[in-house]
Amino acid sequence: MSITLEQVTKRYQGQPVVNDVSLSVAEGEFFVLLGPSGSGKSTLLRAIAGLVDIDQGSIALHGNDVTHVGARDRGVGFVFQHYALFRHLTVAENIEFALRVRRMKGAERRARRAELLKLVALEGMDQRLPAQLSGGQQQRVAVARALAHKPQVLLLDEPFGALDAKIREELRWTIRSVQRELGITTVLVTHDQEEAFALADRIGVMNLGRLLEVAVPRDLYARPATRFVATFLGAANLLLAQQGPEGIRFGTTPVDATVRQPHIGREHEVVTLLRPEELELSAQREQLTSSYLGRATVEELQFTGALERLRLRLLDNQNAVQTSAGDGAEGRIEATRPQPERRALPLAIGDVVALGARRLHVLPTPLSSFVVYGISDSAALELAQVPLLITLAARMKTRVAACTGEPGCTPTAMPGVAVTAAGPDAPARTAELLRTGANEVLLLNATTDVPQQICMYWLDEPARHATLAVAASLLRHLPAEAVCIATAPAGRRDPRRGQALRALLDARSEARAAHALETRTELIPGEAPQALGDYLASQPTPLLVLGSADIASAQRTLEYLATHLPALPVMLVYREARH
Amino acid sequence: MYWRRERSVIPGFGITFGFTTFFLSALVLLPLTALVIKGAGMDWTRFIKVVTDPRAVASYKLTFGASLLAALINIVFGFIVAWTLVRYRFPGRRFIDAIIDMPFALPTAVSGLALTAVFSGNGWIGQYLEPLGIKVAYAPLGITIALTLIGMPFVVRTVQPALEELPKDVEEAAATLGAGPAYTFFRVILPALLPAVLTGFTLAFARAVGEYGSITFIAGNIPFKTEITPLLIIIKLDEYDYAAAAAIGCVMLAISFVMLLAINLVQAWGRRRISGAVRR
Repeated sequence: MSITLEQVTKRYQGQPVVNDVSLSVAEGEFFVLLGPSGSGKSTLLRAIAGLVDIDQGSIALHGNDVTHVGARDRGVGFVFQHYALFRHLTVAENIEFALRVRRMKGAERRARRAELLKLVALEGMDQRLPAQLSGGQQQRVAVARALAHKPQVLLLDEPFGALDAKIREELRWTIRSVQRELGITTVLVTHDQEEAFALADRIGVMNLGRLLEVAVPRDLYARPATRFVATFLGAANLLLAQQGPEGIRFGTTPVDATVRQPHIGREHEVVTLLRPEELELSAQREQLTSSYLGRATVEELQFTGALERLRLRLLDNQNAVQTSAGDGAEGRIEATRPQPERRALPLAIGDVVALGARRLHVLPTPLSSFVVYGISDSAALELAQVPLLITLAARMKTRVAACTGEPGCTPTAMPGVAVTAAGPDAPARTAELLRTGANEVLLLNATTDVPQQICMYWLDEPARHATLAVAASLLRHLPAEAVCIATAPAGRRDPRRGQALRALLDARSEARAAHALETRTELIPGEAPQALGDYLASQPTPLLVLGSADIASAQRTLEYLATHLPALPVMLVYREARH
Repeated sequence: MYWRRERSVIPGFGITFGFTTFFLSALVLLPLTALVIKGAGMDWTRFIKVVTDPRAVASYKLTFGASLLAALINIVFGFIVAWTLVRYRFPGRRFIDAIIDMPFALPTAVSGLALTAVFSGNGWIGQYLEPLGIKVAYAPLGITIALTLIGMPFVVRTVQPALEELPKDVEEAAATLGAGPAYTFFRVILPALLPAVLTGFTLAFARAVGEYGSITFIAGNIPFKTEITPLLIIIKLDEYDYAAAAAIGCVMLAISFVMLLAINLVQAWGRRRISGAVRR
């Protein structure tokens, strides 16, 4: 491996900007770190270069641990967004800078310079000063300068950020061909998904300091695991559907979809991804070649050259849809179709069409939407205003529905995470919700804010898998630290201690393998509810993800926590043990 | 082409150029010309005799020598002060930043008085230096210290903005290319700041050459030893020897002009190198 990062964490004023990132980049690979601004991607790149110190974890280049080696001795090439050329030096002097530092002989230096200028197609520019070059040319010089000392790794921080579209495109080709020619391991940071697709062998998507997913561009686009990646890479329609033993159902219509995870247990709500180009539009339902989704009216039409873009409004199942574009208007769906299709079925605003989904991808995320349970409208409204819930719903681009005790308003009828107010009667209410069909219950106080730490604890092993999945899903949307907790009797000799330790390590590797999630582990001495409560009490703003396969024991634990830690937010994850 | 480059917010090259010429003439050129004429009022042999008088020559050496030395000290220490103020955040930074400007605001005679109090044989610092054989007050060293104090804000205030604008990524680039701190400082940071440092140097130097108020207190004004040219001119004036005063003034003027011109040319060359010879 050319670059190996192990659980790298960087904090600024206590806030993690890079949060537990592990990554391996192979020799000669072109790796792109993609993410919105503030996602920590640049900080991570600078950490690889040694320009920022990391707080935890380790960094190795070609098998050598360089965690505590300064930028100067890491031997990497770094290209900055604003070129960072030495303005008082000529192009030649800029390129030869690293060689002069290394006291290379004049003739050798000139030969190397000529070679590099040829590589970036700037022959004859030797004696120019940076100010006499265009932005694109300056960035070429910066690339040549970064390669002069034959680094083993080339790092580029938004190298096209300050350039206009045409030059961007051209420089993209240059960088790709230079990288191919030299076979140098390259990491490029960008917020532009098109750029990432064009350049990358593999893409890693970052958000809120976490590396969410790493995959080849095609897989990442077609089969993302997370909502964020689905919507960040290209336009996306996210549809809420039901997954049951017989397959995926959208409203009352069954649809075909690729499902990676087989269905387990009760029917539950899932999030499906439908790319705009996978929508089929037809005048009649009978003419569709793909599985029928529903009818929709055309609201907007846009000509974009090769494609026509449409905004449609679903006539049924309106509340089941969110799109990545736009203001999150519910029930609106985006479609694109190539010109031949447009000619075959010309549409105008107001027309009603039948929609078909050529390809639906089910996101393997356990959290779909939220349903607030309150005894009255005002109580439900108050609960819907809790800061944590607002943040989660906004970041997950999902809906928050309400249930205020009217008949038929049960978790079976209203799928999603059940949200209820914490308090003395909460454990009993939670148990009732679980019995009537809820799989996850979120207990909140009126003031619960975004936690700094998400603690995972499961009462029995069958619930572990789901606990980790729910916690991983939460952590993708919250910049918190992940901790797996187990309790074991204090005695060193106790065999249960070994068991607990093994369970923790298993959980950690499962989190890493299945959810690309790095976690800390804590083995707390003592008996379950007391030891757990004491630990949580000592942590700053934790959120507990509590897994259970048994309703009664979940209720008992919640009762203990409700009396001793009334302010603690809890996400209860219930999975029936299979018999 | 030559006079009209581009349209700008201030109208008319003619008017603005007129103002420039008028102001420069009325405030700088005319008085200086008057000085030269006054100096030339005496005959040539007497002019030579006055300006090459050993006492006058000693004062030139002292004035320009001490000013040059003070300006050089200032670019080193002024740079450090500017660096500290720009690169670090510490409590009291604003306070120190304000103190820098004090020599600007203080009547120079007050600075001289204050320095004398500290550095004279029984002053706070002087009492410890005296036994070591270091005489500050009433010695050339004292003059240099006074001139350093007077000139420091010029260096700090010119280097500070240049340092603030110096992109941090340039230093990082040098580091990733394998340069150590010293190499980065002398090959990357310093060349980039050189125009600003030179400007600061010029201003501090010019200010020091013309300084009078603070020196009269700390120098002791011993002819041939601690007598500066501006003081000599005052003495000539006190003796009602206006011609001699003007003659010595002319020599100061000539030396100062040559030195400032030289520094300006160096600077112009440096600027051209950095901002690009070809205008586009």
